[in-house]
Amino acid sequence: MTNETGPLSEDYIDRVRTLAQTIELGDTAEATRQLDELTSLREKTLYQELGRLTREFHEALQSFRLDSRIASLAAQDFPDARERLNYVVSMTAQSADRTMTAVEESMPICESMEERAAALKQEWGRFTQRKMSPDEFRDLSRRLGEFLDSVSDDALRLRANLQEVLMAQDFQDLTGQIIHRVVQLVDEVESNLVELIRISGQGLAVENQEEKKEDRIAASGPPVPGVDTGTVAGQDEVDDLLSSLGF
Amino acid sequence: MNKNIKILIVDDFSTMRRIIKNLLRDLGFTNTAEADDGTTALPMLQSGNFELLVTDWNMPGMQGIDLLRAVRADPKLAHLPVLMVTAEQKKEQIIEAAKAGVNGYIVKPFTAATLKEKLEKIFERIEASQ
Repeated sequence: MTNETGPLSEDYIDRVRTLAQTIELGDTAEATRQLDELTSLREKTLYQELGRLTREFHEALQSFRLDSRIASLAAQDFPDARERLNYVVSMTAQSADRTMTAVEESMPICESMEERAAALKQEWGRFTQRKMSPDEFRDLSRRLGEFLDSVSDDALRLRANLQEVLMAQDFQDLTGQIIHRVVQLVDEVESNLVELIRISGQGLAVENQEEKKEDRIAASGPPVPGVDTGTVAGQDEVDDLLSSLGF
Repeated sequence: MNKNIKILIVDDFSTMRRIIKNLLRDLGFTNTAEADDGTTALPMLQSGNFELLVTDWNMPGMQGIDLLRAVRADPKLAHLPVLMVTAEQKKEQIIEAAKAGVNGYIVKPFTAATLKEKLEKIFERIEASQ
């Protein structure tokens, strides 16, 4: 620590020379007095240095807290992140629900098909073994016709339900995008914390973080209700907007 | 509608690529290929004979909007029909895509019926202009 100005150093050198001479002369009392003076001078300098560092650290901390990005992280982004994650939870629940409903509707259809097919198969067996009367066969024939019609309908309903299960998986892509965005926020908070650790360790001033201006065209993932603004509310509004522009 | 056309599906989430592939299959389009980003999609488009591009917007390497611009800027690909299927739905984004020359814009989550409708519209326009 050699930030003392020229005259101060000279003052020290003079005092040390005088002190050395006083000791050589054997004047203990005077030597002690001069030593005390030197010591208190040194202490004053130390206190001044400490005061300067404390002030610097305090100011660095102040600017860190007042930095707009930090403030907005706490006030805006964290609540946003919470909303986004809550939305992810509700999306996955909705999707599971949709899938299970489709399955629950499909099971009885399959069971009914199985049962009727089994019953008809038995009677068809009787027919092929020539154990059936013409009247009975006419009745069987009618019921076979009905069965074939219903299988056709059932197959359509099953296909629709399976497609519903397929579409219900779309949550994975959408929740993935939302979570990715929250991870970006976590990364930012992490680097801010690292910065805070750094300044508290060295007492140096913090570089001002650049304020993130919102780029309205940059990708931001699925809109979360209550968090994201300026979005359209579904395919119909997209179509309206495009046709109003002449597309 | 020629159902044998070669279609490229681009999305960084494999689940979504699979959903779109299955929906196209249900509509009779079985000649599909996949890419997981704009960066991998572009060379595929340049060397393949694709007649339709279905792409997401939000992708890590090259975004869908940039892929669209690259396609329109390439003389060999400039007339390729492009359908965007994306969660991005800010008004500015939809307008930007329209200005960049997108042929259809579907927002997620979407229904099978919407995909069918938009595809039919694209092909109608193509046939009308031929």
